Amino acid sequence: MNENEDEPKDFIKLNYEKLSTDEVSELVISPCCGAVSLFIGTTRNNFEGKKVIHLEYEAYSPMAEAEIKKICRDVRQKWPSVKHIAVHHRLGLVPVTEASVIVAVSSPQRVASLEAVQYCINTLKATVPIWKKEIYEEAHSWKENKECFWANVEK
Amino acid sequence: TYIQCHLLSHFPIFYSAELAGVRSEIISVPQQLTSLQLWEEIVKRHPRLAAIQDQVVFAVCQEYVLLGDQLLALQSGDEVAIIPPISGG
Repeated sequence: MNENEDEPKDFIKLNYEKLSTDEVSELVISPCCGAVSLFIGTTRNNFEGKKVIHLEYEAYSPMAEAEIKKICRDVRQKWPSVKHIAVHHRLGLVPVTEASVIVAVSSPQRVASLEAVQYCINTLKATVPIWKKEIYEEAHSWKENKECFWANVEK
Repeated sequence: TYIQCHLLSHFPIFYSAELAGVRSEIISVPQQLTSLQLWEEIVKRHPRLAAIQDQVVFAVCQEYVLLGDQLLALQSGDEVAIIPPISGG
C-alpha cells in the first residue's frame, strides 16, 4: 500500500460555485477513519424581522486561504488524530437555503472530528477575512460577526 | 527613507455613500513607522477614514496588525490592507 496516498491533507476552496456536501465529505473520507463530521452554514431567510432575499460574500482571498490554512494547522496541533480537513466557502451571491460554507473533518474516533469541526467554524468566523452582505427586500446591510477578534461590539 | 507600498482597502460599508469592493493604490510612506502612524498617513490622504478607526485592523503582507505601537519595517511593494469587521461563515 502506498502510504503517501493517505497523508493528512487540507482541502481549502474559495470560489463562486454552488457547494456540494457530497464532494466535501468525499474529500475527507479515509480508510483509517471511522468518523466524518460536517458543518454546513446556510443562508437564513430572516434577520431582525427583515426578509432576507440572499447573501453576497466577498473575500480578501489570498489572505483568507492563508488564515484557513492556519486554522487547519491549529486543528492538527489540538487534535493530532485528525486525518483530513476540508473547508469550502462560497463567494458571490448565495440564495436562501443554499450553503455558504462547508467544513468537514475525518478522524479515527468521533470526538476529535466533532470538536475540530466546531473549532474550525468558530475560528473562521473570528479570523478569516470574508465579508457578507444581507440583501433585504427593501435594502441591504454588511454584517459584522460578534466573534471578529478585534471588533469591540460594546463601546 | 520612504518606500512605496500597495494599499488595498475593503470598504463594504461605512458611509451613506457606500464604497463597495476593493480600492487599490500605491502610497509612499516612511520605511519605519508604527501601525498607528501608518494609519495616520492613510487618513491624511482619505480623511473620511478617521470615522472608522475603532473598527479596522491592518493586514501587512497578509498578517494582521492592530492599530497601535507595533513598529513596522515595510519593504517597497509590501501589500497593506485595511480590514473592516469580518462576517464569513
